[in-house]
Amino acid sequence: MTTARVPQLDSLFAALADPTRRAIIERLLATGELSVGDVAAPFAISGPAITRHLQVLERAGLIERRIERQWRFVRVRADALVPVESWVSRQRRHWTEALDRLEALAAAQTPRRKKS
Amino acid sequence: MSDGELNETTLRLERLIPLPPEILFALWTEPAQLLRWWAPDGYEPSVELLETRPGGRWRTTLRRSDGSMLATSGVYRVVEPPRHLVFTWAWEDQSGARGHETEVVVSCEPAPGGTRLVLAQRRFESKQARDNHTIGWSASFDRLADIAG
Repeated sequence: MTTARVPQLDSLFAALADPTRRAIIERLLATGELSVGDVAAPFAISGPAITRHLQVLERAGLIERRIERQWRFVRVRADALVPVESWVSRQRRHWTEALDRLEALAAAQTPRRKKS
Repeated sequence: MSDGELNETTLRLERLIPLPPEILFALWTEPAQLLRWWAPDGYEPSVELLETRPGGRWRTTLRRSDGSMLATSGVYRVVEPPRHLVFTWAWEDQSGARGHETEVVVSCEPAPGGTRLVLAQRRFESKQARDNHTIGWSASFDRLADIAG
C-alpha cells in the first residue's frame, strides 16, 4: 500500500459509508447513466440533499458528470471501484489465511479422533 | 461490481475450530497465544500492544527478512470472554499513518466438536456508526448469535 493510495481509499470509503450514497451508486451501476432528476426520483429527500450527495461522490472520484443542453447526467466512473475491490480482496485473503493457520494450530493441539 | 452489492459487511468467515471457546478466545487475546498463528510464512510477528479491555489499544507488526514491515493496529471496543471480541482494524503504511479503518467482530459460540468462530468485518465505518457503536454492535451481536445458533 503506497502512501498516496491511503487518502484516496479513505475518501472512497467515507463517500460510500452513507447508505443513500451507496444506493445512488448501486442504481447507477444497474442503469448506466441517469439524469440528476432520475437519480433523485426514488429517494424521499430534497433536491439539494441529492446534489450534496452527488458532490461527495464526485469529489471521491466515484462518479462523473456530463452536461447536454439543459440536462445534467451522472454515471459511475469505469475504474472507480477498483481500489475498493482490491482492498476487499486483500482483507479477504488476509483473514482467510489467518483463520487457516488458527484452524491448523487448533487441530494440531487437539487429540485426533480417527474416523472409520 | 465483482463481489456483489455495496452492503455494509464485506467479509464474513465462519469456521468450526476444535477447541473450547475459552481456549480459542485466549488465542486471540493473549500475546504469546496470538503469536502462534498471527503471521504468514516468512514473517516474524511481534505484539507491541494488546490491551484487551474495552478502549484498550492493540498493535502488531509483521517483519520480513528483507526488513520491511507491515503493521496493523486498532482499539478494542468489546471484550467479553469467551464469546465476543470487537476491535477496530487498520493497516499502517511505512510512515505509520493508519489506512482505512474498519471494525472486526469475532464471535465464538460453543458447537458440537468445538467452537463456531464467526469473523465479520465491516467495510464502511461511518462516523455515525463510530459515535453509536454500542447500540450498533449489540444489534450486530444479536444477528451474529442468530447466525451462529
